[in-house]
Amino acid sequence: MTTTMEAKKKRTEMLVEMRKEHRDTVQKAQELLKAQQSTRKVLERALTGGPHSVPQLAQAVNMPAHEVLWHVAGMKKYGIVAEAGTDESGDYYLYRLTKEAA
Amino acid sequence: MPTEHIKVDALVVGGGIAGMQTALDLGDQGYQVALVERQSSIGGKMIDLSKVFPTLDCCSCITTPKMSATAHHDNINLLTYSEIESINRNGNGFTVQVTKKPRYVREDDCTGCRSCELVCPLEVSEDEHEFGRTSHRIVYVPFSTAVPQKAVVDIDNCIFCGKCIQACPSDAIDFTQQPEPVEIETRSIVLATGFETTPIDAKKEYGAGKLRNVISGMMMERLLAPTGPYGRVLRPSDGKMPASIAYVQCAGSRDQTLGVTYCSRVCCMYAIKQAMLLSGALPLAEITIYYMDIRTFGKGYEQFYQNAKAMGVEFLKGKVARITEDADQNPIVRVELIDEFGKTRVTERQHDLVVLSVGLLPGGNPQAKFGVPVGEDGFIQVPDYNVFPAVTSQPGIFVTGTALGPMDIVDSIMMAGAAASATASYLESSNGSGKEAQSQPERSVEYA
Repeated sequence: MTTTMEAKKKRTEMLVEMRKEHRDTVQKAQELLKAQQSTRKVLERALTGGPHSVPQLAQAVNMPAHEVLWHVAGMKKYGIVAEAGTDESGDYYLYRLTKEAA
Repeated sequence: MPTEHIKVDALVVGGGIAGMQTALDLGDQGYQVALVERQSSIGGKMIDLSKVFPTLDCCSCITTPKMSATAHHDNINLLTYSEIESINRNGNGFTVQVTKKPRYVREDDCTGCRSCELVCPLEVSEDEHEFGRTSHRIVYVPFSTAVPQKAVVDIDNCIFCGKCIQACPSDAIDFTQQPEPVEIETRSIVLATGFETTPIDAKKEYGAGKLRNVISGMMMERLLAPTGPYGRVLRPSDGKMPASIAYVQCAGSRDQTLGVTYCSRVCCMYAIKQAMLLSGALPLAEITIYYMDIRTFGKGYEQFYQNAKAMGVEFLKGKVARITEDADQNPIVRVELIDEFGKTRVTERQHDLVVLSVGLLPGGNPQAKFGVPVGEDGFIQVPDYNVFPAVTSQPGIFVTGTALGPMDIVDSIMMAGAAASATASYLESSNGSGKEAQSQPERSVEYA
């Protein structure tokens, strides 16, 4: 038990040290993370209403379609969204939240 | 920092298809080989391609076994994520200083399970393979068939939250890693430094890289690959399945304004191949290829071209002058078309997606780093191309693949055989001692 506690303490100290050493890049990355988490939340909220195409999502969240596509591609890669057929025109794929993400 | 010492018969620089094949051919003959690759995985450009022409065999199915064979060969010492710092001639051989970049993941411990990647909270653009069309997490395995299948940390975007450390079942994450020096003593060097493509923003007439639906041939390769960024052929501006796709040939080759006066040899064939694959992926799409002249010189290539025409791919002779876009980001191609009687007509045509058949440029700067002469085109120049195509003017230094000039995969593999043969011949003649070590590579670590 003591060994585990010590290892955990050592790890925390190392991470603190790393954050100090890489202060500038950590700050930038933290800002990016905050913005990204907020965008993903908005996209996920829109998708709880049902499957959306990229242009539909772009309209729903008021974001350029190419940016939405970038997020959707990443979310698909990491299993947060999945394809759900095409829209009525047949021009666009629809995306839905996966069971795990929902 | 301790310096690792490696003693080999041949050092191969570059882990693309030509470098891997050269290393395998030399290793199979019993020579000890070190292969240095600057990226985190071997495989080069070929592992990013969808299929090969003219057989339409799966690229990954050809490349992955070669990657695996290279990594597991008893006579090949693989150094990925490593840069060559300097090369010094040392008697009949060379002493090469290499820096192994830190992965921040202990290679010996990482199992490639991706547990770290799945808990990492931040994503950034995947630029190395996907041209920024999708993302990767800050700690990630580069791609599903990467060799070695080991994670790497993008330290410049890390917030050091420690989630990866907690998730890793083999305690492989190590943020304290530093660059590691490696010294390679070798009797010969084979340069397989490959190629780059003409940048997408090179021609301002073609949108200077600012038009979202004007992409390069390599980007289309990724869209066509099952492992690509969308898993589908979608246009980057809005995810639409394109109904009209155009190819612009010689968009970065045979172009005095770019200083690329030569033909890149592969663009006609990769455009035809992609057009055929698109006909399968998007059966209703109209595909047009704007060309100056079609060059199908290899075995089975002309028949491949005729098959594409028979499948309904539209080939229009003419030179594209300009590409702009309309309000919906549809590219508008302004082209001077030439009919069969030589009569010209200027017209504008709208497409959903335009692919620039960009050319091949030399990879890296071999002259500065390795002291081998390059031609006006920047590719390595050999003194007797017709008789000894793999032999450079520097004794003991050989060249293979597209480091020599634009060539397709078939020719690259043949060149690899030629380079391995020339290197083996040199090794047998120089010093007269033949192979450096018949059994295991000689390695030692010196603590300074």
